[in-house]
Amino acid sequence: MADSAAEARIDQALVARTLLGNDQRAFEHLLRRHQGMVRAQLRRLLRGDGAMADDLAQEVFLLAWRKLDQFRGEARFSTWLYRIAYACFLQACRKRSWPVGDAGDGEVGQLPAPSPAMDLQLDLERAMQRLSTAEQAVLLHCVQLGLSHDEAAYVLAMPLGTVKTHAARGKAKLKTWLAAWRTTSEEQIS
Amino acid sequence: MSDPHDDDTIDALLRQQFDGPVPDDGFSARVMQRLPPRRRHVTWPLWAGILVGAGACWSSLLFSPLLRAGWQDWLAGELSMPAFVLLLAMAGMSALAGWWCVAEAGDR
Repeated sequence: MADSAAEARIDQALVARTLLGNDQRAFEHLLRRHQGMVRAQLRRLLRGDGAMADDLAQEVFLLAWRKLDQFRGEARFSTWLYRIAYACFLQACRKRSWPVGDAGDGEVGQLPAPSPAMDLQLDLERAMQRLSTAEQAVLLHCVQLGLSHDEAAYVLAMPLGTVKTHAARGKAKLKTWLAAWRTTSEEQIS
Repeated sequence: MSDPHDDDTIDALLRQQFDGPVPDDGFSARVMQRLPPRRRHVTWPLWAGILVGAGACWSSLLFSPLLRAGWQDWLAGELSMPAFVLLLAMAGMSALAGWWCVAEAGDR
């Protein structure tokens, strides 16, 4: 908590230096501090397409450079960047007519029983892809990127209640689909 | 349905599955090369607008009998109707300016 507050203060100071002194080196600091997580976010959203994710990430940082004076410090700088990145991702989906719709909404079955050759991580990956796009996005931001529900709502431009519903529903589906793995996964984690 | 222990397990599995931040590998340098020059914020049109607006307002009110009568009554310490209107207008403008300052401070 204290660490994240200190990180936020560093970001605020770098933003102020960039704006007041037109300091490209301060912006470069910001870029180096956040590029890794923004690219990771976009890679997950684009299901591992690294080249496309990097193109979009470049667009995100150029936009952040142009719109930096619109950053008011209401959210953390990283959250603000995730929001721009998610908006760029949605725009790219619309432009290239990629499916953003629901993948497996409604059907709550169970994946085939695990054979010894099947890997838990692979099953989890498959199960994640069966979730609706909104559920995937919420779990990515809340669990994997470590944002609070409020921050995820800001990034995804969704009402807070919807974020909580998607998170609960997504986890419930994953639990059902991975029920056969439950004992194994608990052993792996402990 | 949402047994917390199970939620923790799912959370842990999802975190395990996440690869974490991507190494830079020249990405930042490539972005820095493509950075366009920053456009400076030009503020003079705003100030010119404020000055012209204030000037126009002043010149239209300067010869108004209401303003003159209100001003004179106020200086004489008499709370007549024109003085009251003048006072009310000034209080309104002060409240507006105060509200704007609070809103700006809240945004920062």
